[in-house]
Amino acid sequence: MTPKQRKLAYELITNPPPGSDIAAAKDYGIDLTLLVENLDLTVVERLRKLYSVATFLEKMRKSSSIGR
Amino acid sequence: MTPNSEECINILNQAEVEYVVIGGVALVAHGSARATFDLDVCYQRSKDNIEKLCRALGPFHPRLRGAPLDLPFRFDPKTVTAGLNFTLATDLGDFDLLGEVAGLGFYDAVYKSSQIKKVENIECRVLSLDGLYKAKSAAGRDKDREALKEIKGLKELKERLGEE
Repeated sequence: MTPKQRKLAYELITNPPPGSDIAAAKDYGIDLTLLVENLDLTVVERLRKLYSVATFLEKMRKSSSIGR
Repeated sequence: MTPNSEECINILNQAEVEYVVIGGVALVAHGSARATFDLDVCYQRSKDNIEKLCRALGPFHPRLRGAPLDLPFRFDPKTVTAGLNFTLATDLGDFDLLGEVAGLGFYDAVYKSSQIKKVENIECRVLSLDGLYKAKSAAGRDKDREALKEIKGLKELKERLGEE
C-alpha cells in the first residue's frame, strides 16, 4: 500500500461509510485493523504469517491436550 | 499438521498440476486475517492431470485423514479417478483435494472464478473473493458466517483502495 492508500484505509475502517460492507463487517465484530495490516503485506508475507500463526496454534493445541 | 502453503504450491507447480487454491489459504492470500490449518485445492480431473497430481503428492504419503490406520488406501490415479473429494493427511500437512466445490461446481467453473497471485517468484491460481463468497455461502456452516462478513468487507476495502 502507498502512504495515501494506508491513510485512506485507516479512515475507512475508523469511520466506515454508513450502510457499506465495511460498516457491516465492523458491526459484526470483524477486526478491520488486521485486514489493513494484511493488505500492507505481499501475498507471500501473508502466507508466511499464516504458517507461523497456525504452527504456533497447533503446538499450543498439542501441548494443552498432553497436559490434560 | 499445518502445511507450508508455499512449499505445497511449489511442488504442484513443478509437477505442472492444474489446480486452484480455495478455502482459508485463498482467503489469507487476499488479505484475510483468519487462521486455517489445511490447504484446500480444487484440481482438474483429466487423466493427465490426475496422474501429475498423484506423482506430485505420492512421495509425501497421502492417507485419508481421520480414517483408521489399517484402512487400506492407495493414492493413485485409479483411486483419485474413482473418487472426487479427498481429505488427506500428508507428510507436507493436511491437504484437501476437491474435484467439485459447493456453490461453484467443477474445476472449469472454479477456474473461471479464480485469479493469479504472485507468491514471490512463482505464480499461483487462487479463488477470487467473489468465488470464495459463493463457496462459503453454499457450505452454509455456522463458522462461515463471520467469514462471509469479512469477505464482503475486505472486498469493498480493496475496491475503495484501488487494489485488485
